[in-house]
Amino acid sequence: MKQSGFRAIFIRSLLQIVRRPVYWVGFFLLPLFGFFLLTNEMEEGLPEQVPAAIIDKDGSSMSRQVSQTLSGMQNVDIIADCNSFTEGRHKMQEGEIFGYFLIPENFERDLLAGRSPSITFYTNMTYYVPASLLFKTFKATALYTKAGVMLNVAEAAGIDGAEVMPLLQPVNIQARGIGNPWLNYGIYLCNGFVPGILQLMIFLITCFSLGQEIKYHTSIQLMQMANGSIWRALAAKLLPQTIIWMIIAIFMESWLFGWNHYPMHGSWLWITLSELMFVLACQGLAVFFFGVLPNLRMSLSVSALIGILSFSIAAFSFPVESMYPAIGIFSWILPVRYNYLIYVDQALNGWDIYYSRIWFVAYIIFMVLPLTVGWNIKRQFNHPVYAP
Amino acid sequence: MKRFIISTYKVFLREFKLVTKDMGIILFLVFLPLAYPIIYSLIYNPEVVRDVKMIVVDNDRSALSRELVRNLDATQEIWIKGYAADMNEARRAMSDHKCYGILEIPADFGRKCTSGEVGNAVIYSEMSLLLRYRGFLVASTNVSQAMGAEIQHADINRSMPLAETIATGDPLPVANISMGNIESGFDSFIMPGIVILILQQCIILAIGMAGGARHESPLITGYDSYNESTSVVGSLIGKVLAYFTIMIVPAIFLIHYVPLIFSFPMAGNIVEEFLFIIPLILSSIFLAFSLQGFVRERESIFVLWVVTSVFFLFLSGLTWPRYAMSPFWKFLSDLVPATWGVEGFIRMNTNGASLAQVSADYTSLWWLTLLYAITAYCSQRWIMRPLQFRLKKAA
Repeated sequence: MKQSGFRAIFIRSLLQIVRRPVYWVGFFLLPLFGFFLLTNEMEEGLPEQVPAAIIDKDGSSMSRQVSQTLSGMQNVDIIADCNSFTEGRHKMQEGEIFGYFLIPENFERDLLAGRSPSITFYTNMTYYVPASLLFKTFKATALYTKAGVMLNVAEAAGIDGAEVMPLLQPVNIQARGIGNPWLNYGIYLCNGFVPGILQLMIFLITCFSLGQEIKYHTSIQLMQMANGSIWRALAAKLLPQTIIWMIIAIFMESWLFGWNHYPMHGSWLWITLSELMFVLACQGLAVFFFGVLPNLRMSLSVSALIGILSFSIAAFSFPVESMYPAIGIFSWILPVRYNYLIYVDQALNGWDIYYSRIWFVAYIIFMVLPLTVGWNIKRQFNHPVYAP
Repeated sequence: MKRFIISTYKVFLREFKLVTKDMGIILFLVFLPLAYPIIYSLIYNPEVVRDVKMIVVDNDRSALSRELVRNLDATQEIWIKGYAADMNEARRAMSDHKCYGILEIPADFGRKCTSGEVGNAVIYSEMSLLLRYRGFLVASTNVSQAMGAEIQHADINRSMPLAETIATGDPLPVANISMGNIESGFDSFIMPGIVILILQQCIILAIGMAGGARHESPLITGYDSYNESTSVVGSLIGKVLAYFTIMIVPAIFLIHYVPLIFSFPMAGNIVEEFLFIIPLILSSIFLAFSLQGFVRERESIFVLWVVTSVFFLFLSGLTWPRYAMSPFWKFLSDLVPATWGVEGFIRMNTNGASLAQVSADYTSLWWLTLLYAITAYCSQRWIMRPLQFRLKKAA
């Protein structure tokens, strides 16, 4: 009466996906929304025009000149002119500004008299990105001002103009970023976080769909259709998902490197291979989770825990070598870490594939992980018990 | 009125029983707020990136170039791992993941620096992580300024022994002060925001799972989730109060003990902070009750809601500031309780703002509470309640 065989399970599994809205949301809506949100939000590259304030307690022509220089800087938007330090601090606490630049009383007079007045600037480091930009801008303004002053003094002392610049800065070290010279935030964050979203959804959907079989006791039927072979059951059950995920992964790749023009200095072939193996590695690891904890809720909890922590432990923003070794070691058990490493080697830096060989091997290890737990899934599928 | 209060109270009590019967919900309400912030804080607890590996290509081999290398090695940010003969060798080392930066010193560096020209050295930084680049930038700026000042000093004294006024003192000292997160640590920056996100998400996950359980037959879930009084408002109030009561202890743990354990900045007043998160908890609870209508199964809340934590992180302004968002994303982030919660809580906890100073965020949270109370009522009145009655009849 029931059809059996690989094709029948494949079709059954496909119909399960089509019939339930939760799969539509999980396969398409959430990942695609996530891709779009992250890349579109950070499209500008850097959050320029940081709101800031200036506190000019001097009000002389020189201090006004400094204010004008500051207002003209690319990364800052001077939205307020405060009268006191306290007013500036309050504006920062109220969230209107991310920092302020303080010119002290009698600035011009002290400067001309050689009494070394000091310029101080304050940045709100509770917000890293705007504060770092602001820091850079404030520091540049202060150094320009200082250079201008020294230029005047040196010229007054009779040093030739051409000789002055080296005198101001004899040692110059430039820092050049390879691959992302614009310090583009989208390139920096999306290439880790977007595959991270994909990994999380693959974990969740894989465990969810396997757990459903146990919850509704349909796994017995599944095992009969597969003639008792757990490998045939799993392969046919998960193949429709693999196909959908691979299409989404290829879309993600073209979305990032094609549509958004993120740096792609290597071969498309290797990146494509990496994305496809990444899908299989995530599925492999998810099946492993399910095999260890063949319970719908527990396997989903583990998937969620590891999937969410991946965004931190896979070190897209804070390097592994700076973490505690006992924590950093967990970065090696995440497929998305290898996806990220291959992206860095191949797409961002365009190095030879030889240097990334190990990362591809790691994918294969994830793919064969289910072999270790097949017996347990088989046992549970034959005698399904749902624990809420 | 008296009957209303009594029946509401009964719903309140019964909701406690339901929550304690469902291990999944307990896990969300207890394990999640206790364990997640600890794991997160441990990941970032080293706070700063120290000693990033760098390889030197020194084409100059002068006393000054060696001094430059020594000075860079002495900074907190850079660790000079070794020398390479030429750029090719250095690039191979970088490709082999042995270093993240290359310092190239040109052949005439030392001569130029001391003969009244500018000596240019270049640091090439690998750009997978901006924190490493930032470290290189800070270290190289500090070192070049310090060495420059020394050379300047010697230079000026040599060329104009009388101009000592310039040479002896800095004519315009520049100081910078980091506010709030004074050590500029990564953990202290990200965690105060994350704890608020965790608070919102654990509430929504728990109530979403409870909603899923209510869609299902007691034969599957193992318990009867029916819990309604005669009035919709009464049942909603009873349930909301139950979750609010349960959340008090995890919330205090999140906003007070997590910063205490990991010694994050704690400049705020704890009582005011608690007052601040009350509407955050309430609006999250109401939002969760609004979403209950869409969760058809206990476990589907995982598929539907876990990934939104990432979306809310990016909408909260923590990674990408809100002033730079496009109007659409800004509007969307306005609707998320955690956005206002993160902003206000960071300013209170880290910058020491008072409740009055975050009044804009505070009122927004109360408006969201009102908005989601209305949507929660609609969802309960037209989706959940008919369903519960149907299931009750079927049972």
